[in-house]
Amino acid sequence: MADLFDRFESLRARRDGLVGDGGHDPFQVEMDEVLSQTEAMIEGRRTILAGTNNYLGLTFAPESLKAAHDALDAAGTGTTGSRVANGTYSGHKALEHALCSFLGKEHAIVFSTGYLANLSVLSTLVGPDDYILMDADCHASIYDGVRMGDAQIIRFKHNDAADLDKRLARLAKKPGNKLIVIEGIYSMLGDKAPLDEIVAVKKKYDDVYLLSDEAHSLGVLGRYGRGLTEEVDLEDDVDFIVGTFSKSVGTVGGFCVSSHPQFDLLRLACRPYIFTASLPPSVVASAKTSLELVEKGGALRKRLMRNAERLHSGLSALGFTLGGDVSPVVAVVAPDVEIGVAFWRGLIDGGIYVNLALPPATPQNFTLLRCSLCAAHTTEQVDRIIEVFAEVADTLGMLPKQPKKKAALG
Amino acid sequence: MSAEPSDGASQDVRAAVLEVLQTFNKTGVTLQDGTRFTEDLNFDSLLVMEFIAALEDRLDISVPLNVLPDIETVGQLVVATEQIVREEHG
Repeated sequence: MADLFDRFESLRARRDGLVGDGGHDPFQVEMDEVLSQTEAMIEGRRTILAGTNNYLGLTFAPESLKAAHDALDAAGTGTTGSRVANGTYSGHKALEHALCSFLGKEHAIVFSTGYLANLSVLSTLVGPDDYILMDADCHASIYDGVRMGDAQIIRFKHNDAADLDKRLARLAKKPGNKLIVIEGIYSMLGDKAPLDEIVAVKKKYDDVYLLSDEAHSLGVLGRYGRGLTEEVDLEDDVDFIVGTFSKSVGTVGGFCVSSHPQFDLLRLACRPYIFTASLPPSVVASAKTSLELVEKGGALRKRLMRNAERLHSGLSALGFTLGGDVSPVVAVVAPDVEIGVAFWRGLIDGGIYVNLALPPATPQNFTLLRCSLCAAHTTEQVDRIIEVFAEVADTLGMLPKQPKKKAALG
Repeated sequence: MSAEPSDGASQDVRAAVLEVLQTFNKTGVTLQDGTRFTEDLNFDSLLVMEFIAALEDRLDISVPLNVLPDIETVGQLVVATEQIVREEHG
């Protein structure tokens, strides 16, 4: 008799291939105790966390902890329902006002996660006669959101404004709105969108809107941490900004902001907004407080970038192939899946936690050891990460090439 | 599924699809209407993306991702492409 789970046979085979020998499962890491923003106990070992996306280290910010505690005591553990069906708390509105004022837009909607923010907006904003032009390296939540909607989906080559231009030109004679979807910083390799070039292309055509997902760039880029749009001073040219509270903001939740006068109608149209429980008061309160810390976080951003540069240059000097430019995401390219998994295990055994990213979830089908840095990492911790990378590479005999030495002659 | 060419224009589309596809065919399998992208040509999502982009450029058309889940074979792609070409270039 056929089993319901037979359809997952290839998935099972692949998983067993990765962890069949009883070694650590890269996708089921248990943190027995979280010690700080940068350390946890994993299998009884004190481990440096270098894969949390906790860029500014705000998960233990005293102000945010206090705001969360106060809200928890005042308004309870949960809202037990959705904003539309069961009511909005004052905290939700306060958070939306805070987002508007921080990001300089007229309207904001808070969603229960970043994933749901993309699912909501992308499945609803555009209809069957419209077109979505998305960067090929966009996050799974963007792919899922556009698939859930009715718009025609066109991908353009990653970070290639000329390719986007070519595709928009083909659509120019067709009726319907066009929505370009990009990300501020791409999550896997840490590279930024060429926003100036994309805005220039957008301006060549009519009825084209631009949405930027600033999940990884909020708090990280720009003087006040408003993301890539602030860094390159193009905030007014982006129609919709999506973001998350689960990275720099240090909690959970998502949002979309826009100055379109009818933006609030999405509250009545987005099913992943209408039919999901809203964020609990403690989360809302800590998000609002942490947003203030993000805005004032110039010193944290400097520390974060200093750590990013140190890790990037350290790994680069060892001869590793890195996925992108200097950013708080530092992705080491492994030669293949087998070495990637062995390398990841070596790092865990050496007390370093990073993310293992495998095809097909990665650009160009790379196998990646993806590190993300935190402003709270000390210089010693960053150096220790580099040291363990070198040790594991040595053990596996895979250090791609020896550090460049000066030639004796010439 | 068969895709009988009905006129010169669709002959051209068929030829263009096969020509572009041949450059992505690493298996050496002879391309026929019944050739399946996943099983016979070992296409993964990355290769599909590159192939579709090349096809779009070759015929100056837009192939939305929406049509892809229904396409398993070369013949089905020829039919879908012919329809897009008719809509876009009359």
